[in-house]
Amino acid sequence: MSDVTSEPTRAGGSPPALSARGITKRFPGGVVANEAVDLDVAPGEVHALLGENGAGKSTLSNCFTGLYRPDEGSILVDGAPVSFHSPRDAIEAGIGMVHQHFRLVETFTVAENVALGEHGPLRKRADAARVRELGERYGLEVDPNARIWQLSVGQQQRVEIIKALSREARILILDEPTAVLTPHEAEALFSVLRRMTAEGRSVIFISHKLDEVRAVADRVTVLRDGRTEGTRSVAGADSRELARLMVGRDVTLGAERIERSTAPTDDVLLSLSGVRAAGDHGREALAGIDLEVHAHEIVGVCGVSGNGQRELAEVVAGMRATTAGTVRIGETELSRADPRIAQRAGLAHVPEDRLHTGLAPSLPIEDNLALRAYRSPPLATGPFLRRRRIREQATELMAAYDVRAPGPTTPTRVLSGGNVQKVLLARELSSSPKALVAASPTRGLDVGAIETVRTLLVDAAERGVAILLLSEDLDEILSLADRIAVIYEGRIQAVVSRDDADVEELGLLMGGDRSHLDGDAA
Amino acid sequence: MIRLERRVDQPRWLSLAVPLGSIAVALLVGAVVVALSGNDAIATYSRIVDRGFTSRGAFTATLTAATPLLFTGLAAATAFRMGIFNIGGEGQLIVGAVGASGAGIVLDGRPAALAIPAMLVAGAACGAAWAGIAAVLRAWLNTNEIITTLMLNYLAINLATYLVFGSKSRWRDLEGSGLMFPKGKAIPEAFEFPSVDFGNFTVSFGFFIGIAAAIALYVAFRSTRFGFQTRVIGDEPRAAAYAGMRTKRTILALLALSGAVAGLGGASDVGDTRHLLDPKALGQAGYGYAGIVVAALARLNPLAVVGVSILMGGLANAGRALQGPDFPAGLVGTLQGLLLVCTLAGELFARYRIRRAGAGAGVVAVAAPPGAGVQG
Amino acid sequence: MIASTALVQVATVLAQAGDGASSALPVASTGGGVNSNLLIVIFASAIFYGTPLLLAALGEMLTERSGVLNLGVEGMMLMGAVAACWTSLHAGGSGWMVVTQAMLAAVVVGGLTAALHAVLVLTFRVEQIVSGLAITILAGAAGLSSYLAASLDLASSPIPHRLEPIHVGGLADLPVAGPLLFDHNLLTYLSWVLVAVLWWYLFRSRRGLHLRAVGESPATADAMGIDVVRTRYVHTIAGGGLAGLAGAFYPLAIIPLWSDGLTGGRGWIALALVIFGFWRPELILVGAYLFGAFSSLGLTLQARNVEVSTQLLDSLPYLMTIVVLVFVSTGWARRRLGAPAALGTPYEREAR
Repeated sequence: MSDVTSEPTRAGGSPPALSARGITKRFPGGVVANEAVDLDVAPGEVHALLGENGAGKSTLSNCFTGLYRPDEGSILVDGAPVSFHSPRDAIEAGIGMVHQHFRLVETFTVAENVALGEHGPLRKRADAARVRELGERYGLEVDPNARIWQLSVGQQQRVEIIKALSREARILILDEPTAVLTPHEAEALFSVLRRMTAEGRSVIFISHKLDEVRAVADRVTVLRDGRTEGTRSVAGADSRELARLMVGRDVTLGAERIERSTAPTDDVLLSLSGVRAAGDHGREALAGIDLEVHAHEIVGVCGVSGNGQRELAEVVAGMRATTAGTVRIGETELSRADPRIAQRAGLAHVPEDRLHTGLAPSLPIEDNLALRAYRSPPLATGPFLRRRRIREQATELMAAYDVRAPGPTTPTRVLSGGNVQKVLLARELSSSPKALVAASPTRGLDVGAIETVRTLLVDAAERGVAILLLSEDLDEILSLADRIAVIYEGRIQAVVSRDDADVEELGLLMGGDRSHLDGDAA
Repeated sequence: MIRLERRVDQPRWLSLAVPLGSIAVALLVGAVVVALSGNDAIATYSRIVDRGFTSRGAFTATLTAATPLLFTGLAAATAFRMGIFNIGGEGQLIVGAVGASGAGIVLDGRPAALAIPAMLVAGAACGAAWAGIAAVLRAWLNTNEIITTLMLNYLAINLATYLVFGSKSRWRDLEGSGLMFPKGKAIPEAFEFPSVDFGNFTVSFGFFIGIAAAIALYVAFRSTRFGFQTRVIGDEPRAAAYAGMRTKRTILALLALSGAVAGLGGASDVGDTRHLLDPKALGQAGYGYAGIVVAALARLNPLAVVGVSILMGGLANAGRALQGPDFPAGLVGTLQGLLLVCTLAGELFARYRIRRAGAGAGVVAVAAPPGAGVQG
Repeated sequence: MIASTALVQVATVLAQAGDGASSALPVASTGGGVNSNLLIVIFASAIFYGTPLLLAALGEMLTERSGVLNLGVEGMMLMGAVAACWTSLHAGGSGWMVVTQAMLAAVVVGGLTAALHAVLVLTFRVEQIVSGLAITILAGAAGLSSYLAASLDLASSPIPHRLEPIHVGGLADLPVAGPLLFDHNLLTYLSWVLVAVLWWYLFRSRRGLHLRAVGESPATADAMGIDVVRTRYVHTIAGGGLAGLAGAFYPLAIIPLWSDGLTGGRGWIALALVIFGFWRPELILVGAYLFGAFSSLGLTLQARNVEVSTQLLDSLPYLMTIVVLVFVSTGWARRRLGAPAALGTPYEREAR
């Protein structure tokens, strides 16, 4: 139960709506996710929590929502210490959370999702009315009787916010809410947040994007390696300083291109023409894709998630059937959806879900390194595996790609994200591919691992590999790609050269707005 | 507050201590059950050991009882290793017995050197085909194999019953008393499987086949491409699809292999033991379900299945020999069930480290974060 | 295996009972006129034999709706049957009191058996399928139920008190509707009430909404303050209680004498029925009676000297289950009426 017993006294310098005092949270295996974290969120403010992946932002918010219990330190709501034993306690104390991965029951209606976890008899009509009323009040219109799976991602996010508001959340925590939104949708979200703070509610806005923080937050607290690096007022903050606090060293803001010693040639190693394909739910996910990647070239595909990137990668890798068009890798045209044909043609593939699609998580590293080549010599003789050779190969690759693990028999799932990705890249790049498809190859990795992965990609391009890089991280694309293709609703909106790329223009294209392009054409 | 932490690596001693501890707990609970029903637990256990293993002729009978369990245990282990829950070992063994006895009856007059291999092949083929039904449904229509293999068990017993009791088929003895009281037609005496006498005990041909199958399966899972594929598919089907593995074909092959091994058990039942198709006895024996216990206790390791099946065979043999007012039917099944339950529960201690957390510092629910392992 | 032996036993009982002697069996009630019309007899006995299937399947539906798969239905039914038998032999009081106590005992023992599964699966994190099978092997026809029955000497005498049909007023004599709707025993009427109550519970109550959320998306339920583990415990145990009650139907209403494995593998049919009924009480009722019809068709036809292969008739429910399962798992049915999304998967709170 929550220890909040009385209404906080607002008179005489109102206490922070939510504070953390010396929060420390350790995980088994010695990982310290939060160490002596202090935070004060004032009533009526948007307080940004800025930090890189793995800085401890999510752990801290999970402590606020009762999913974790901190090992040390205390949480105060309106100045009174509280102790959360379960998410219910946090909800009752007025804390609501919108997770990055929505916590919604797909088969339920909006109103049913909003009613989850409440008490008393179920009253469908009253629940629907409440959803409508909250929607009108905050500009979060959504049909209360629609099923979640029928809604767009942006609409689902609205449901999450309505859920929190209907539980009378006075403090709303949003975990990287704009990652799944178009710029336009993000702007709409910011205006919702402003309406909420105008009523005296507080918002904790978790992000790693500086520009966003500047646009929406009043104050910002920077987290790095589980520690607070300081709190600043956004109005007076210097972006460079915030970035330095976040990364721990001077960084180049924006995305500077990593220079390469080779330039793209005319050899087309990967080409798609008129490719159409259906998504998982039968809807057309790719609506005619034309794209070419040359030797030594990196083509970045950017777009808001869910616009066909995953399907595009799968089609090239032979994991998804096309309904029209052709895919060529080198000289080979993929005749049907079969990853083996793509592999034999010289394709390497780093899938988005690296641990579950790219690797078999419970199997040892050595088996995962053999996943591609186990069928033929030198790893196999006839139907038999050559276990000794597999072990040798694993040892060699682990040394060459700097995979840090106790040994080749360690189960892959216990590795850190960076090492998992290195295992995957070691296997794929050691097959001397002609072309590589990499989907969000650095998502969720720490700074060091991000640099390693980018270096590996650049090295591969220098060796002549044609790389198709799919990423939602525009900075990553800007720093790696020679050309940038913007994907929107299964179509390539435009392909621009890196040197001509303009971030604002790309943003508009990602949102489906081509008006300025048409204007140019006319 | 107690909390659990997933172990990154299992210490070697645990993989021995945990199963032994589980068995000890199972025997202890079993002793309580026996004592509650008014019998002497220690005396009961020592009688089980005596009649199951040490007394004269006991080991021969135990091996006979272990043979079908060896086959169904291997069949279950084979499928379960890939996460395919074939609980149809029962039906596959019965259909294997139908095939083997059919081959024996049809080949009457031919040399035994031809007929005995033919019986084995027929048994394996029938078992494979029976499992193949569930495999095709699972692989191509995504039908849950648990329920289909189970339903096929009932269909198999009905089929065998029909052949012997419900029709005038080749399997039915239509001469003499067989006309009045239906029973299966015996295979020619020359086709009865040979056995090897080791002095103190004899070992049936079927048991040797079972050991050969265990070794072959061990090698297949450890060091063949097929075994590698089953490991990957069993762990993460998406990774298998990514690597271009033929998941459907592998499911079909694996379930057919599993069914074939169970079918060999049926052939052994006909060739080694009963020499005819006996639907009633096969139906009541429950070899298939006991095989799942064997496989689970052996932690799906084919070589361990050999040992566990002898243990379970000894229990079953002792149960049969001792059955009476002070040794009720069901005691052996209860003990087997307790062993299984305790072993399963014991796995927790092998997989997780149990920590007592200080007040206020516990995690309500537990999982290791992805980064909890090796940092790099 | 067990199924055929049980049916043989039923047939034997029927043959011994002779016409009309055992009024507990609708099959045997052969009056004259409309109500002995073959179809009506078949339907009435379908309801009779379908009742335990319905109860067990409703229980399993509750369990599965919470995301837990319990393959131990057969074991739980047998434990319930043992409890009912023993209570019926030893409890004092009037016939109704004894039968009521027997049913309650069956619910409790069935629930306790399910609690073992719940502990293994939810606390010890054992694979659900293996745990369910372990329960069946431990409690099943060759296990604890048989051991207890032998130790408690249940098979030596028939139980004195049974569930008799309740003729509802004069309604039981109505043509057609009488034998179909108003000539059943308490458990059958209770099962109808349960179908309605469970429908309301699942689709109209707050707790039902929470239950479905736990089965569909435990992470969501957890974040909304719903106790996932508790919900799963409660519904697994409740499901076991219903399975125990279903088991009690066999000694209390069908064969008044203990025999090992007297439920005849119906627990497995109940598992199939949950899928057949798309995890909805009202559809499970339809399925249960369809399967019940096959259970009794052979006896009904034989009683009227119609030549049929017992083995073939016996096989039909199993064949139908496979056919239905194939249908359920393909095409549009799966998308619209699929299993609870989290069925069979353990829930551990995610750490990042």
